[in-house]
Amino acid sequence: MADMRTVLSIRGAERRYRADHAALAGADLDLKAGRITALLGPSGSGKSTLLRAIAGLERLEAGSIRLGDTIWNDARTHVPPEARRVGMVFQDYALFPHMTALANVAFGLSGPDKQARAMTQLEAAELGHKAKAYPHELSGGEQQRVALARALAPEPAVVLLDEPFSGLDRRLRGELRERTVDTLRAAGTTALIVTHDAEEAMAVADQLALMDGGRVIQTGAPDEVWMSPVSATAAKLLGDVEIIEASVTGGQAETPFGPVDANGFEDDQPVSVLIRPRAFTLSLKPEGEYTITRRRSAGPHLTHRFASEAGEWTAQTPAPSPIQEGDRVSVELDPVYVRVVAA
Amino acid sequence: MPGRATSLAILAATLCAAPILAVVWIGLSGETGDYLRHLAGTRLPTYLLTSALVGLIAAGGAGLIGTGLGWLMARTEFTGRRTLGWILILPLAVPAYVAAYAWLDLSAAGGPLHAATGGLFPTIRGSWGAGLMFALVLYPYVYLLARNTFSSQSADAYNAARTLGAGPLAAFWRTSLPMARPAIAAGLALVVMESLADYGTVSHLGAPTLSIGLIRAWSGAGSLVDAARLSLVLVFIAMLVFGLERAQRRRARSVNAAGRHKPSPRIRLSGLPALGALTACLLPLTLGMLIPLGRLVWLAAHTETAPGLVAASWHSLSLAGITALIAAALGLATAYALRSRTAIATLAARAASLGYAVPGAVAAVGVIAILSGTQSLLDPAWRSVTGEVFPILLTGTGAALVFAYLSRFAAAAISPAETALARVTPSLDGAARTLGASRGQRVWHIHWPLVVAGVTSAGLLVFVEVLKELPATMILRPFNYDTLAIIAHNFASDERLGEAALPSLLIPLVALLPMIFVARYLSRQDP
Repeated sequence: MADMRTVLSIRGAERRYRADHAALAGADLDLKAGRITALLGPSGSGKSTLLRAIAGLERLEAGSIRLGDTIWNDARTHVPPEARRVGMVFQDYALFPHMTALANVAFGLSGPDKQARAMTQLEAAELGHKAKAYPHELSGGEQQRVALARALAPEPAVVLLDEPFSGLDRRLRGELRERTVDTLRAAGTTALIVTHDAEEAMAVADQLALMDGGRVIQTGAPDEVWMSPVSATAAKLLGDVEIIEASVTGGQAETPFGPVDANGFEDDQPVSVLIRPRAFTLSLKPEGEYTITRRRSAGPHLTHRFASEAGEWTAQTPAPSPIQEGDRVSVELDPVYVRVVAA
Repeated sequence: MPGRATSLAILAATLCAAPILAVVWIGLSGETGDYLRHLAGTRLPTYLLTSALVGLIAAGGAGLIGTGLGWLMARTEFTGRRTLGWILILPLAVPAYVAAYAWLDLSAAGGPLHAATGGLFPTIRGSWGAGLMFALVLYPYVYLLARNTFSSQSADAYNAARTLGAGPLAAFWRTSLPMARPAIAAGLALVVMESLADYGTVSHLGAPTLSIGLIRAWSGAGSLVDAARLSLVLVFIAMLVFGLERAQRRRARSVNAAGRHKPSPRIRLSGLPALGALTACLLPLTLGMLIPLGRLVWLAAHTETAPGLVAASWHSLSLAGITALIAAALGLATAYALRSRTAIATLAARAASLGYAVPGAVAAVGVIAILSGTQSLLDPAWRSVTGEVFPILLTGTGAALVFAYLSRFAAAAISPAETALARVTPSLDGAARTLGASRGQRVWHIHWPLVVAGVTSAGLLVFVEVLKELPATMILRPFNYDTLAIIAHNFASDERLGEAALPSLLIPLVALLPMIFVARYLSRQDP
């Protein structure tokens, strides 16, 4: 990606619905030209509010949103949604039920050729044959594609997608995800996808932004964020993780599984050691320190719960595995999947 | 209880559909009378034109008031909104003819409004006057449906229109309003139907619609066939109105295609806009209810009470009460039958709701046709056995009246009962059964508490409608059997408005209490 220009930048966005609860508490985010950013967070983290603020459907109480040099929202300015050149795909698609698919796509267009342009857009979504159909005559996947075509048709500066795959069944979801990413790439659009599904976020994103408590807590390439979470919260957003509280001695943090490198931390500083379940390697040993308390199959791998007097943890082990419940094992750590962060 | 429910549903369907079928039969088979032949060459075009004009004015006015208020109530918040939400439904308790008596009295030459404005205030009469009266008391039909649809609309469609470049007004005009159109059209169809079915208002204000011709055919010319033929025209127009309504929502749907619904936040009004909203709500209430009822109170207080009011009140109450009870029971039974999803139940419900489109005068003509047909069929056998004339079914009993009322209003009790019963989901039934509840326990402890308010409200609505009913009562009432509506109409048409005032006033006063229950029930259904 040569072009790393920032298209849209958000600084210190704040919005509260109730006096005691801030939906946005100073969120910062940059969207890069032509790239897809996934905004991942648990429900109530403020991600939908941020999306609606970018669209202009919410007004910020503090902070700013700007597109290039144009201010969309700050203390004095609030550009209404219709003047922002934002395309939005709503969670329930919000197709106009009284209009055909074609009329839906043509809604945001003007000029004498708008029907033709809408048709081109529909055909690109392989829905040309459904142009005359009403929304309720379309399948869930088709509705989503019409909604995306409608958002893209006016060639917006930014496309926002609010949980665009959540209404679909699992199998269809993967297929539609690929198609959506392809469509966004082909259009060269700058896009922001909101989701609460970590796997989905990593699959679609060029850039991943993690959100919690009304703030963006980390941004970066998906694998980079997965490998190097900045906090326990960030690590938990992306998948299962064991967290061991420790303190640093001589550049190392002590864990039940031996010392871990803690470069850059001072002695006696409290830290959290983040261990992905796949970091554990279990070996059957009659005199092993740990006992298997639970064994669950999960297709390509298994999860083993193992315990000693020091505590209980979960390991992810490749299938098949001879290790059974009640077996005694020894445990080793693969440092690649271990990170130390400030507690 | 599917078996019993279905039989009751079939009974309801028969009661509702028989009069209209009889009218069709008589209308198509009988000899054309002189009256109709004469009419076709003289007044029929006027009747048709006036009907169209009155219907259009009523629809336009009620559409404007009902849609505007529906939107205000559904999408904004201001002081007093909750209370006004149900108060705005109350004008349904005022018969249009009662409003017409008062307004004509106020605005005619010699009336206080006329005097106070030096004759500048136009006299409320003719087609536009009648249309205006209908708009003022019937707008709640549109208001209820519009409010419901505006408050169930997902905010996302409006927001999507905004992100696609439409300003607030354009977004409303292009998405919110068209999405509400089927509901508004359904409300308008009811308004037009009620206007066409009316007799009291149009005869008092001098707007000769078809129903005037129909009543004259029967009570003036005494021709059942002619009355039936005119009825057919009226029914044809009714079908046209409902057909148009159905056609315009043929494929497009008003609800959001994808299910999830996000309630839209209300727009908070304060200061001048809030005052404006309040005024918009109070204006139709004042014009449709407060001013006419106030005038009637004044008139009644300044006139000696006419005799016969107690008996008439009793007749009105008992007719309305009996009809309401039967209609509520039939409505509930039909709703139960519909749950069985059998073809016969669906057919019965369809046939029963046919009554909705049948004006009271037409139902009355149908009932006469049925009863006199039965009489002439049974008379020879009766004579040969008893040697006497077969007892007259037609007059002398209120049963014929109840029959006609039911055929017109039972349909109105079906859909509320259906809505209420829809709250009893199959899984509720299932849950109760797995917990060991017998059929009786389920009906008593689960169904009844969930449906009782809905069924009561349906019954009360029928009660109010019967109380207000005039044309069918005029045609079918036994000799010297008066109701409040009849007494009021008779005095008003004799220009003795002082004596008409008290019976006119009693109808909305009696109707008000049940109407408040209905209004509050309907308003609770909305968020």
